Order: sequence, then C-alpha cells, then structure tokens
Amino acid sequence: MSRVVELVAGPLRHLRRSTLGWGIGLAALVGLTVAFWPAFRDSSGISQAIDSLPSGLVEAFGLEDFGTPAGFLRGNLYEFIVPLLLAIAAIAAANGLTAAEEDSGRLEIYLAQPVSRGALFLGRALAVAAWVAVITILILAVQLASDSIVGLAIDTGLVVATVVLCGLLALAHGALALAVAGWSARPALVLSIGVAVVVAGYLVAALFPLSDVLEPLQALSPWEWALGGDPLVNAAEPWRYVSLVVPTVALTIFGLVGFTRRDVRAA
Amino acid sequence: MGSGGGPASVCIEARNEHNRQTGGGSRHNASVTTADRSAIRVEALRKHYGSLQAVRGIDLDVRHGEVFGFVGPNGAGKSTTIRCLLDLIRPTSGRIEVLGLDPRAQGVEMRSRIAYVPGELRLPERMTSRQLVASIARLRGGLDDRRRDDVVERLGIDLDRRMRDLSTGNRRKVALLLAFAARAELLILDEPTSGLDPLMQHEFIGLVREARAAGTTVFLSSHVLSEVQRAADRVAVLKDGRVVVEGTVDELRGRARQRVEAWFVGEAPADEIRAVPGIVDPLIDGRRLAATLSGSPAPLLAILARHPVASLVLEEPDLEDAFLGLYAEAP
Repeated sequence: MSRVVELVAGPLRHLRRSTLGWGIGLAALVGLTVAFWPAFRDSSGISQAIDSLPSGLVEAFGLEDFGTPAGFLRGNLYEFIVPLLLAIAAIAAANGLTAAEEDSGRLEIYLAQPVSRGALFLGRALAVAAWVAVITILILAVQLASDSIVGLAIDTGLVVATVVLCGLLALAHGALALAVAGWSARPALVLSIGVAVVVAGYLVAALFPLSDVLEPLQALSPWEWALGGDPLVNAAEPWRYVSLVVPTVALTIFGLVGFTRRDVRAA
Repeated sequence: MGSGGGPASVCIEARNEHNRQTGGGSRHNASVTTADRSAIRVEALRKHYGSLQAVRGIDLDVRHGEVFGFVGPNGAGKSTTIRCLLDLIRPTSGRIEVLGLDPRAQGVEMRSRIAYVPGELRLPERMTSRQLVASIARLRGGLDDRRRDDVVERLGIDLDRRMRDLSTGNRRKVALLLAFAARAELLILDEPTSGLDPLMQHEFIGLVREARAAGTTVFLSSHVLSEVQRAADRVAVLKDGRVVVEGTVDELRGRARQRVEAWFVGEAPADEIRAVPGIVDPLIDGRRLAATLSGSPAPLLAILARHPVASLVLEEPDLEDAFLGLYAEAP
C-alpha cells in the first residue's frame, strides 16, 4: 500500500514549489480582475466602446455582453487567459515529472526499484491530475470568495462548471504531454507540442467562426468542446465534460504503452 | 522475500525468434538448473543504437554468492549491459536471466531482490538524503534499518543535506547507502567508487566483502582493475562491446602487464635485462630502466637483487595497457 501511495505522493512532493508559483499567480490574476468589477460596472464608457467594434471581432475575443458579470468574467478571464495558463501549467507539470526527469537521468534510481514502468508512469499521471485539481480548486475558491466580496452577482453553479471545464481542458493538454513523454524523453519536444496544440486550439475556436468556410472546423478545437457553450451563461451539457475526460484517459494510456516499450534514456 | 532460486523462468529473446522454436518445455527445464547456480546469466547479448554497436555479443555467468568484477575502459559497454540486466533498456538480441527471472516479464520481482547503483548517478536535487532514503524505503517495502545506520556511520553521510549541495563523492555515498541497506540478494554496482576518496574506497571494499560473507552476490563494474582485484572472485574484461578475457583474479593478475621503472646505482645491466622473459620494449638509458613486464616479476627481481638499485617503481598501468596483449588477441 505504501508503495502505491509513494508512486503518487513522491512526484507530488516534487511539484510543491510549482504549486506555490502557479497557484499564487493564478489566484492573484483572478482576485485582482474581480476587484476591478465595481469600478468597471459603474463606468459605461468601456461597454460602449466595445459595442462600437465590429461584431465578429467582439465575438472572437469573447467580449459580448462585457458589461454583465458573466461577460466581464468571460472576456477578462475564462475566454483565454485562465484556460491557457492552466493548460500550460498542466503541460509543464506533466513534462517535469516524466520527460524532464528522465532526460536528466533522475528516473533511473526509481526505475531500479521493484515497481513496473507502467505503475511509475501511472503514478506520475495521477500526480499531475491531483496537482491540476488543486490549482483548479484554488482558482475556484478565489473566484467565489472575491465574487461575494465585491458583489459580483453570478450563479455559483455556472462559475463552478466553467472553472471545472477549464481544469479538464488543462488536464487534457497535460495528458497530451504525457503521451509525447511516454514515447520520447525529450522535454523540449513535449513542451513544444503541448504549447503548440493549446495555442492552435484557441486560435481555431476563436478565429475560425469569422470565416464561413472555416466555421465548421471550429468543432475540432478542445477549447470549443470545453467552453463553446458559454458555460458562464448556459449550464454546460454533460457531453462537454466527457469530451475532455475521454481523450485525457486515452492519451495517458497511449503514453503509458509507449513508456513500457522503449528504452529508458541514460543520463 | 524468499532468497531461494525463485520461480523458474522462460527467457525471452528480444527480436530473436529462432530460439523459440526449440520448444518451451525443454528450455523451461534448462532454466530450472541455471537458476540454481547462476545469479546472472547472459547469452549472446547485443545492443545496437542505430549503427552504433554498444554491446556485440556478450556471454556472462555470474554464480550465486560471488563477487564478479566487470572491467573495461569507458565506452566498452559495461553500463549498457548493466542497464539491460535491470530492464532499463531492451537488448537488440540475446538472452538474459537474473536470479532465475526474465528481466522484461518479471522485472518487479527481480528488482525487489536487486539493489543497483547507477554509473551516471543523478539524484533528486531538492531532496535531502533522509527524504530520499525514506522514499526508496517505501518503494521497496522497507530497508534494513540496522544496516542503514551502520553504513551511514561508516561512510560518514550527513542525512540532512540536500542532494544539490552534495559533491559527486557524497552523492555516490548516498547511492551506496541505498544499495547496501536494501535487503537484496544481488548488488549491481556500476562504477561505485568513482568520486570516492581512497579512505572511502577502502570502506567500500569492506562493505562488499561483508555483503559477500552474508551470501549476497555482487556484480561490480569498474574501469580500475586494482579496485576490482581487491574485491572480486572472478573478473570479465570488456572491450568494444565484447568480453576479451574472463577468469579468476589470480589468473588475470598473471596475465596483466606491469610498468617497471628502476634507477640503478651504477650502469643498468642492459644485456641481462633484455634476456628477462616477459620484458617488453625495455628502454635502457644509462642508470635508468623503463619497461613493461608481463607475467611474474620474479626473474626481473632476481636480476635487480644482484645489482645495487637506487629506486624501483613497479606499478599497474591503466587498464588499456594492462591488457594490451589481451585486447590484441580479441577477435
């Protein structure tokens, strides 16, 4: 039993320092943004300025209904910056526990113990999931607390759903990083594929709707699956959660299979 | 953890299917007998990285309870072979059996009975030694606490310092602690003394001898022959991915070359020296003699005894020189 716990807890200890960095950073971003809500609500100038922009542009940047609480949170936080940062955090954590450790030769001492490759990899995948969950819950807690402090009136259930969807979107990208790391112990490759996919996903979801030809392809983006239904306004459909969890599990298994089959990289 | 022969195993060949056709039954029986007498059995092991042939057909048979030296210059394929034993890398072809188990299919059980010190040692930077020892203990289902305390004291390990603050030698000590405190039947130590000062090397030899006395098999790699000679029962010398010589330490000692340098009080007796059996390329220059000697030093010493000698150095050359002859014989 202690062996199983250690396979997850050991890597989690390794992430302690980045929990502090990412956690404080994202919590500050959310808290400070919400703190500006009262001032923003009371000045109509910005809303009018946005209304005067072309509607396609407004939509692309998630600025519709910017004067409402939901519009304010979406445009400032959940349309782009929070999901992006959370996904990058997940990619970095996954890379840090797998490819980067292996590339530096620090996995060898663990792989020489009576644990299977698959168990070690799965333990690290679970550590990434637990870590993303902790950061997600922290964001959610700061969001709900600051909403009530500054009097930003929005349905708690919708906020919970939105933040959870961001967490699952991040986790899917973390799983992508694990998939790459399972087959190749090259940290630069893991990071660049992870970041390229998360940025491409955003661009597809944000810009393809501007073109009639490209609009149907918007459905290819995980961002669209997670946040396409505007979850701060409409209750998210159950399939959106499934559409993120299924690839997360599949990518993790794909990485695990690769890791059990190949040579472990020497320092 | 049982210390017996362990379950019989069927070896698998990596991408080398023809042996499979010999039939499972007979090989199964063969494994039972080898498991009884061999701690490590390697047959025709090859490992290629693209066009680079790191290991080109190695056979090894390490018996239970012996200290086996695995010697060769850097890049000879020692670490590659060892990493195959632990299933960290997969052979291109060949068979491996460790403690009667197949490393690939029975790796978890195998590693529960093995402790390993990596050659290229990298430990988690931010952990203290104490934290690392605790973490490994949890993964292994416990360490031998009394042994741990003993090794900590003898190697002078400060458990509360972080890895990144430790010198190479001190990190090596932590890895040795993990290996010697593990309840293992087989210790696989890859260049375990690199970075250790002579006092600690001496302490290390003591630990190896104690482990052997307790019935533990030790597989010890090194590029320093003298270190292995002090501890090992048998030795295999590796060169360019092949075993070029294998035998007991005494057999090897008889074949190894030594470097001789002598200063005579008077003129060096050149003719007598040239006639000594085993003397190679003697360089005689007035009072000074420099030469390489293979085999017993006795005939040379007899000459030196008859002439007044001011100083004499008889030393082991580096491994390459010691086995120059052997390497040349290698196919």
